[in-house]
Amino acid sequence: MGEFGLRRGRADLKSAGPITFGPAGILFLADNVAAKVFAVDVADPDPAGGSEPFDLADVDARVGSFLGCEPGDIVLKDMAVHPLTHNVYLSVQRGHGEAAQPVLVRIGRLDGAVTDVPLDDVPFAEVRIGDAPAEGDERLDITLPLGDEGEELRVGERKIRILRQPIRTSTVTDMAYAGGELLVAGLSNEEFSSRLRRIPFPFSDEVAGSSLEIFHVSHGKWETAAPIRAFVPYDGGASILASYTCTPVVHFGLADLTDGGKAVGRTVAELGAVNQPLDMVSFVQGDQEYLLVANTAHGLVKIACRDIDAQSPLTEPKEPVGVPRETKDLQGIRRLANLNGGHVLVLQCDDAGHQHLRSLKTASL
Amino acid sequence: MRVRPGTAAAPGGRDGWPPMAGRLVRDGGCLCFVPRFAFLDGTAYTVTVDGATAAVLIRDRPDGPATTEVTAICPTAAEVPGNLLRLYVWFSAPMSEGYAARHIRLAGDGGEVIAGALLPGEHELWDASRRRLTLLLDPARIKRGLAGHREAGYPLRSGEPFRLVVDPGFPDARGHPLRAGAERRYQVGGEERRHVDPGRWTLTAPPAGTSEPVQVTFGRPLDHGLLARCLQVTGPGGQPVGGTARIGPEERSWQLVPGQVWTPGPHQLIADPILEDLAGNSVSRVFDRDLASPEDQPRQIGPVALAFHPR
Repeated sequence: MGEFGLRRGRADLKSAGPITFGPAGILFLADNVAAKVFAVDVADPDPAGGSEPFDLADVDARVGSFLGCEPGDIVLKDMAVHPLTHNVYLSVQRGHGEAAQPVLVRIGRLDGAVTDVPLDDVPFAEVRIGDAPAEGDERLDITLPLGDEGEELRVGERKIRILRQPIRTSTVTDMAYAGGELLVAGLSNEEFSSRLRRIPFPFSDEVAGSSLEIFHVSHGKWETAAPIRAFVPYDGGASILASYTCTPVVHFGLADLTDGGKAVGRTVAELGAVNQPLDMVSFVQGDQEYLLVANTAHGLVKIACRDIDAQSPLTEPKEPVGVPRETKDLQGIRRLANLNGGHVLVLQCDDAGHQHLRSLKTASL
Repeated sequence: MRVRPGTAAAPGGRDGWPPMAGRLVRDGGCLCFVPRFAFLDGTAYTVTVDGATAAVLIRDRPDGPATTEVTAICPTAAEVPGNLLRLYVWFSAPMSEGYAARHIRLAGDGGEVIAGALLPGEHELWDASRRRLTLLLDPARIKRGLAGHREAGYPLRSGEPFRLVVDPGFPDARGHPLRAGAERRYQVGGEERRHVDPGRWTLTAPPAGTSEPVQVTFGRPLDHGLLARCLQVTGPGGQPVGGTARIGPEERSWQLVPGQVWTPGPHQLIADPILEDLAGNSVSRVFDRDLASPEDQPRQIGPVALAFHPR
């Protein structure tokens, strides 16, 4: 067993989901079908990156071409930048339905070359993240598998293979590594709740992590919980800014969160009607830390961390709601990541549906 | 030799795109391309040699009968509250992910789509076998005080019926369409903002020595998914009573037929406090709590027990 508890072997991903880098170039990959998070040493071969930008047009088509399929047959699920080499990692679903296959793709920062990162013989660790079945929840959906999954049953003279799978599932919506823990936000397919799971890393067999519920108050009148869609640690990991499916942007301190407890975050902004948060990133401009929020309805939203700290909880409906923020006229941005100190890398979808990697200069944001 | 997906080898826009990953293997007088990722059905591949197109090979999508169908749409209640939160669609076979937004919609009686009613998102909520899909109505429009609710209002309007429509083109896991589309029509009632209150349920105790069911009625429809796992019956020693549980019509009741005859003595129906109604109100808390209302105070944290005695 190597550093961080990784063992060499096959990281058997069943599906592509959110990804984020942790310590020492270890990439966390969420697998919502297997209900696991994998930690993989991607052994990036390239030298340390500099401060130059990186742009790549038609990244979806290029990845599709490499994987042997049309752009419509791939889904770019998430993006992360290697903290040392600045190469770009994409979590990709290739194909649909029975043909769906997860692939981890690396895009070289120096030449834009597309390669895949094989996961069949890598240093890795894994942890289960599905909600433990509730006591008494014995519901399993039983189907006849097409392959060799499941278990064999003998019925008279015949053998049949059946697959028992849980009906209640939890879908990882976002992950971040902070302070020796992997923070995982998820969305249940049954109860409506706001849970953030804290999983110590290296993973432990004994400790599957703790979870807690974070409420928020809108306008001093209504307290509510909702699933977290995207979040970002800032202030060295001491603070979290979380964006909910119902669009409030809520601050809470990591130290306030205790196992199994209830925390009430401080609503500092709302993203507005018929809108969904997509991703968040922090960056430094001058000597100040800022956050960017990508969302479905408006351009990129920029918020100064010092304004979050100074914002009192929202108590009255007023426009604009919450902290001062700027909305950048940058549409179609689905994913954000720090490329280097000088640039934020974005995955941007144009009006024709083509996706591109673009670098935004932090000094100009 | 290079292989690329698509029917044009190198039109202007594709210059610089990488060829399909794979390796070349010499087999006697033949040169074989072994792809790193399997060829996909329904895709054309262009083979070039020294930049010139040598062949365009089309891998057909296998035809087959459409056999998958929608087996249930929940809630099954004829009327749902105006602040309805969640719906479930059950399919007879595993489905493909990524198509729900294109193939499922809420529509008015005239067929017009109720725009922005369902929560959009990249994350479709399937069970592990990809046969049950959970749909959420946009919570920002249901929760009071939020911009979504103030600016756009409830997705549903009291007194205006709507339908959940599943298109026949929704592809199953094999890529085949459904045998037929499906829909369920609902009347829309008023808001539901109360806790789920087991103290108001009606429990019918079975006679001892029989296998008649214990039955509980709720007074309003509860969430189908949660109902299937949040209720349990225990016997005199606190041990779970096994048997066959059934959810009643319109999710207004639940019953358990025991595996063995009822013994006399104290039994309990145990309700998990996360059990929700159709509007996301649970035993422990209401969907959005009015901080000024004592009625909205969070309630039971632990399981709620209702005692009964088979006699």
